[in-house]
Amino acid sequence: MMVGSGGELRLVGIAAWSILAFLILPSLIIIPIGFGNSNEIIFPPNRFGIELFVRFFTEPGWVSATLVSLRVACATTFLSVVVGVPAAYALSRGRFPGKRLLALFLLSPIMVPGVVVAVALYIYFARIGLRDGDVRLVLGHVVATLPFVIVTASAGLRQVDPALETAATIMGASRFYLFRRVTLPLIRPSIIAGALFAFLISFDEVVISWFVARADTTTLPVKMFSSIQWEVSAVLAAISTMLTALSALVCLAVARLQGKESA
Amino acid sequence: MARAGGLERQQALRIAFYAVPAAILMLAVFAVPLGTVVIQSFTSEASPGFTLASYAKILSATLFVRVSWKTLEITLLATAFALLLAYPLAYYMAQQPPRRRAMLMILVLVPFWTSVLVKSFAFTVILGQSGLVNTAISWLGLPPVKLLFNRIGVIIGMSHFLVPFMVFPILSNLLNQPRDLVSAASILGAGKWRIFWRVTLPLSMPGVMAGVLLVMILSLGFYVVPALLGGRQDMMLANLVDFYAREIIDWPMASALSVILMGTAAIAAIILSLIPGGSAILGGDER
Repeated sequence: MMVGSGGELRLVGIAAWSILAFLILPSLIIIPIGFGNSNEIIFPPNRFGIELFVRFFTEPGWVSATLVSLRVACATTFLSVVVGVPAAYALSRGRFPGKRLLALFLLSPIMVPGVVVAVALYIYFARIGLRDGDVRLVLGHVVATLPFVIVTASAGLRQVDPALETAATIMGASRFYLFRRVTLPLIRPSIIAGALFAFLISFDEVVISWFVARADTTTLPVKMFSSIQWEVSAVLAAISTMLTALSALVCLAVARLQGKESA
Repeated sequence: MARAGGLERQQALRIAFYAVPAAILMLAVFAVPLGTVVIQSFTSEASPGFTLASYAKILSATLFVRVSWKTLEITLLATAFALLLAYPLAYYMAQQPPRRRAMLMILVLVPFWTSVLVKSFAFTVILGQSGLVNTAISWLGLPPVKLLFNRIGVIIGMSHFLVPFMVFPILSNLLNQPRDLVSAASILGAGKWRIFWRVTLPLSMPGVMAGVLLVMILSLGFYVVPALLGGRQDMMLANLVDFYAREIIDWPMASALSVILMGTAAIAAIILSLIPGGSAILGGDER
């Protein structure tokens, strides 16, 4: 069947752009509502202003939940980078028995449904009597973030010219010196990208937090989740606007970092 | 030379120690808790020691059977819609010059990295009774349609979430297809449709299969979207786990259900790893 050459590609283009519009629409629609000035969640809003953002900062609970999320996300990011980057190094440079199995084990949380991890930690923390809310959240979030940090750091390690590491070894650098002074600086963009992803995953994490958070350590997503379920508040639109901006910023930052690495 | 080789090998072995902290951490917060769940699933409050009572109880529970069918139904529908949306998008992106493709990629990545809560909340605004869609419908003079807190809401929300996961493997497959095949077919006189149906589409099947399996694994574990966009009738297996763990507080049942869920996902993951290009996805090699 012969069809005019430009025609069907234009058709595919229209379809593709409609699909992109569907993908991006929820993120976009939330912004004008966030800058609306009413209690009703309507699009388009009648008046514009920053009233909902002011309410976010003044209504009780939101700021404290945000602070918990920030604290937990920072600790989670730190822990997963400190532990994950050396693991990626071992997996990409080492040659030892069971390496593939270890890689499979460290990355397997990606394939396990979040709710299973959540229930497992819920029961496990109850059994061992771990009550500290922050520690419970950080340990739970690390399960979700560590694989991402390992994957991102491994991708960076694959790009490093092996000659640079060989040269340093010939000049007498020890393995640890080599890792710290040669390899780490070379993969810095990947480490930062992994850290940004880890921060975002932890900051947005709902399901594990919903199970392991304690009443005094409610995270922002947990508070949002119960708010959407029980008493939808217009403040959610302002929060969603801020979260969307955060996601967009991380995406752009990572896109720039990856451009830098390949250049 | 031989000694140097031996030293190098020793070095390569010693690097394994760099993975020790990660391995210990994952043992403590992932493997041991999951192991506890597996053990718990073989116990029951009635009798100490090994028992299959929880599995027998759950497999005969009408609630479980009903929710399993619902989960399967929703998973298949959401996967089908995600594929329907992702393929044309990936195909279009593959045709674009690299710079433009990178720009389009950001439009896919922003929703991908946006919190599922933000997306679900946005859909309650778009699909609600006085939402965007129903306002448009009422302009046309038609009666409002119920799009939220039912099956439609769940399918729309899930498909939206899943499209990027489907785009990545299909796009990567399309970009790796040898260009010569298309020009060869074209020189031999095949039209664009014919080239697509006879060359591009069949060659992209591994990418499609990888995407379908990945998306199905993810769909099985959906929790937030059915809870926020679905009705009581649209409970999925993940929500049932929560129901047993925290509402009825029957940990052996919740554990048995978790093991079933995990086992299903594991089987799908093993099939995925056997597809060419599938193991790269398991490694999370998505950009």
